Amino acid sequence: MSRDQSHPRARRALAALSLLPLLAAGVAAQEAAVVERYGPGPAASTFGEPFQYLFWLITTLVSVSFAIVLVLLLVPVLRDRARPGHKASYDHGRSLHDKRFTAVVSVIVFVVLDAWVLVVAMADLRDGYWKIPPPDAPGVLKVEVLAQQWAWNFRTPGVDGEFGTADDVLSTNQLTVPEGRPVSLNLTSKDVIHALFLPDMRLKRDANPGAVNVAWFEATRAGEFDILCAELCGYAHYQMHGKLHVLDQGAYDAWEQEASRLAVAAFDTEDTEAHWAWAWQE
Amino acid sequence: MTATSATAALPLPRESARARVDATLGMLFFIGSWSMAFGTLFLSFLILRDRVGTWPPPGIALPSFPLASLATAVLLGSSVALHLALRRARAGRQATGAGTGATAAAARGFGALWAVGLGLGCAFAALQWWLWWALLAAGTRPEAGLYESLFFGLTWVHAAHVAIALLALLWVQVGIACGRYGSQRIVVAQNSALFWHFMDAVWVLLYLGFFVF
Amino acid sequence: MSGDHIHPEPTTFLRKHVFSFDHKVIAKQFLWFGMLWLLIGGVMAMMIRWQLANPGQPVPVLGALLFPRTGGVIDPASYNMLFTMHGTIMIFLGLTPVLIGCFGNWCIPLMIGARDMIFPTLNMLSFWTVFLGGMVGLWSMFVPLGASEAGWTGYPTLSTTVGTQGTGETLWAVAVFLIGASSIMGGINYITTIIRLRAPGMGWMDMPLTVWGLFFTAVLNVLFLPVIGSAMLLLIMDRVFGTAFYVPASLLTGGSGGDPILYQHLFWIFGHPEVYILILPAWGIVADLLSFFARKPAFGYKVTVGAMFAVTVLSAVVYGHHMFTTGLSAMLGESFMLLTMIISVPGEILFFNWLHTLWKGSLRLTTPMLFAMGVIFVFGLGGLTGLYLATISTDIFLHDTYFVVGHFHLTMAASALFGAFGATYFFFPKMFGRMLDERLGKLHFWTTIIPLTVVFSTMFVSGYSGMPRRYYDHTSADYLKPLQHLNVLTSVAAFVLGASQLIFAWNFVRSRWWGKKAVDNPWEIGTLDWSMPTPVPHYNFKEIPVVHTGPHEFSHPALKGRDWIPQTEKLPA
Repeated sequence: MSRDQSHPRARRALAALSLLPLLAAGVAAQEAAVVERYGPGPAASTFGEPFQYLFWLITTLVSVSFAIVLVLLLVPVLRDRARPGHKASYDHGRSLHDKRFTAVVSVIVFVVLDAWVLVVAMADLRDGYWKIPPPDAPGVLKVEVLAQQWAWNFRTPGVDGEFGTADDVLSTNQLTVPEGRPVSLNLTSKDVIHALFLPDMRLKRDANPGAVNVAWFEATRAGEFDILCAELCGYAHYQMHGKLHVLDQGAYDAWEQEASRLAVAAFDTEDTEAHWAWAWQE
Repeated sequence: MTATSATAALPLPRESARARVDATLGMLFFIGSWSMAFGTLFLSFLILRDRVGTWPPPGIALPSFPLASLATAVLLGSSVALHLALRRARAGRQATGAGTGATAAAARGFGALWAVGLGLGCAFAALQWWLWWALLAAGTRPEAGLYESLFFGLTWVHAAHVAIALLALLWVQVGIACGRYGSQRIVVAQNSALFWHFMDAVWVLLYLGFFVF
Repeated sequence: MSGDHIHPEPTTFLRKHVFSFDHKVIAKQFLWFGMLWLLIGGVMAMMIRWQLANPGQPVPVLGALLFPRTGGVIDPASYNMLFTMHGTIMIFLGLTPVLIGCFGNWCIPLMIGARDMIFPTLNMLSFWTVFLGGMVGLWSMFVPLGASEAGWTGYPTLSTTVGTQGTGETLWAVAVFLIGASSIMGGINYITTIIRLRAPGMGWMDMPLTVWGLFFTAVLNVLFLPVIGSAMLLLIMDRVFGTAFYVPASLLTGGSGGDPILYQHLFWIFGHPEVYILILPAWGIVADLLSFFARKPAFGYKVTVGAMFAVTVLSAVVYGHHMFTTGLSAMLGESFMLLTMIISVPGEILFFNWLHTLWKGSLRLTTPMLFAMGVIFVFGLGGLTGLYLATISTDIFLHDTYFVVGHFHLTMAASALFGAFGATYFFFPKMFGRMLDERLGKLHFWTTIIPLTVVFSTMFVSGYSGMPRRYYDHTSADYLKPLQHLNVLTSVAAFVLGASQLIFAWNFVRSRWWGKKAVDNPWEIGTLDWSMPTPVPHYNFKEIPVVHTGPHEFSHPALKGRDWIPQTEKLPA
């Protein structure tokens, strides 16, 4: 049957079918409207601002670029459709002008999209993620993170500031740190690769078996935040989460005193499993 | 391989120079590809070896250096034999027109030298087997640690390829005997020998990595 | 060799349809094989999206069949299996056979003027090897502990016996190895054929860009599949023989150990070129289709070839951007960041040339053209989001979140798949002698691109909101509960996307046997493949053609009465 004489039944069926995408669009819009959080939420570490700035810089650059591409795609569709008497322009793009134009556009794109972002990112990295505080700097809290299937084990040195002593504070899936002081992390794993993800701190680092990774962050406000695992580690990967408690300085000191006291009281020389710790890595 | 079968007209047409280039190009790309495979294994070897303090690590019964050296010499000898075999066959191609006697001699030489190469190749395989057997008997097992993993792992991968290459050499040997391969149809033999030389080179690197440096 | 003489036509059923040496038959074998696996991988995706939108709910229809022990509910281990096999299947058993196996085989000899591939036996072996790989992959789903659960990336130590017992993971590695071997065979064939069997007058710069894309893909395949082959061999040995290549000493009872991070390096040295392997054929096809349907030469042909070459060369040195959170040194990280940004420049040049090809053309908006233009859209969106991931300080947050999933689906799945769809609609008349229904094709296009954009753009939002990937259930973590409606939105759009592919499946099957008969050159294209009668005789060209003109000579001012010219004719003075 030719295109012109559509069967009325087929037309009705097609009309009914076209309702499905509309229905889907309706559901989609409704779902989008009730999402409780768009974005990662306010940052709680010194990494937050640089991350935010860079993310929105890239978004702006990328959006403008994509908009230009869309316009350049749409104009020919609207203006240059094949029609009787209409001829395409015969142009191989081999002329010197074309080559120069290509080169100029490439340079502009590289400078604006890539080089600009690169410069900002390198500064962020050198002033931020890679500026691991020296371990003997005052006020640095060292935390050893031992990941396992499927829990996070944390060890802080306790009041005496030394790992491997009776007052080391051990916890599972709970990490308590002070606000406004650098927290230096050593991460490793007992079994498979995991990754410590502190979304509010904008931090992620892999915990590899057989090696120690180094990372750090500094919390900028007190509160309760989330810990997630960000490297597939088995069937309970999705359940490997915990809580990060950030306490202001006074509250943290009090907490640390009490936690160390309890650790000493609970210390069992026989329990070798709980005596995990390692030589601190820079 | 007898004078009569060599002097009778070859039942199969001579291969064109163009077909020789086509097939050789394919083999060279294949060897290029396989260089990446073995290159990956060597890279892994170097990276992992670098992490071990002393090499070879103490306390392990090591594979026999004299045996491995003998195997290396045998393998190199087999490559030389194959190379000489092909030289003889190519000389036979030039000799065509100079009389069937020269062609027959070339064909015999080709077959005989190829057999030497194949024989030495099989000898290498046997020596390799002995090397592993002695090592296992001395108590060094592949699951015992990194050195053992690297030694067994890499030599097994190499040996699997040697096995296939030996089958190719055997195929060519049979083909020479049946008259399928000869001075006028040489590219399959040539390419098999190329692959064998490549296996040779990989072994030499393994030998250097485990027994010399 | 096949370049010169006409071989006798095969007579038996086995020789004609099963163990055929004819590149055209092998192309169709790859096509059916790839489409079947795309269907399987697609159904897996639907199941994944079902679980994410309705955690713990039994899957309708398929649930009772596939998960009887849990009452139709996907359990966490099976969920991990689903996304692992979805990725492996789509890449190795879906896209590769269709884009490279099918269109490589179909296009190369016909477009360069050859009678067949230069190594027809190797060609046949390459199909049956990928078939065997698929069978091993299928087998792995039925072993006692099930198929691989360690992700398509299979990182140790999760993929060694430390993390995963059972034969499924080992069989997965064997399957990947076999499929890789098949692609290497194909690659050697394609490269040698293109170098040696071009018809007289078919210079390197007279070939359709489709052939160039396939050529560079073949080079990457030949160079980098061996790397993953060796990586898999080491993994198989760790699993089967207890060796310690990837298992660190801390997990062994004694002696020295290996390095799990070594695997990541080896995997991504292959893995990054792999994504270019998948996209280069699509780029070549798109460049040609845009020219063909804008009736205008491909703008900047040589520059396009140069850009594809640059991407090919650079593809090996950017791989570290997959490992920014592993603990790479700062210097290494910065180098990879810089190189990754540099590799975006040739990609951008391609866009420039594509858009310029359309500009002031005479556009015929056929289904193949829509899909080619669709690639500009989806690859533009996906490619630009790569900038967030190339930048280390944003990647630290976005790594292993849905942002990455959105990015690679748009660039890899959508773009490569649209290239494959465009090629299918385009070559169907020559391959099968009938036209695919144009109205259904356009409907397929629009009902694909719209939901696809919704699915993967929503993933950018989810990822930016901190939603990790490879999670069975996002509602179990407090931080992720508020995002659940994004999951529902994604899944609804995904179900529409999945359903739309049925339009294509219906169109394909129906048109294959009952479609409108096609004329020999329905699209009015001058390349050598379209100069063939339909069906193409088994020897292709009775006489090897002599080429006088380029592949994109459309709307030349000297052409009278038509806007195209076959490559075998000389352009009028």
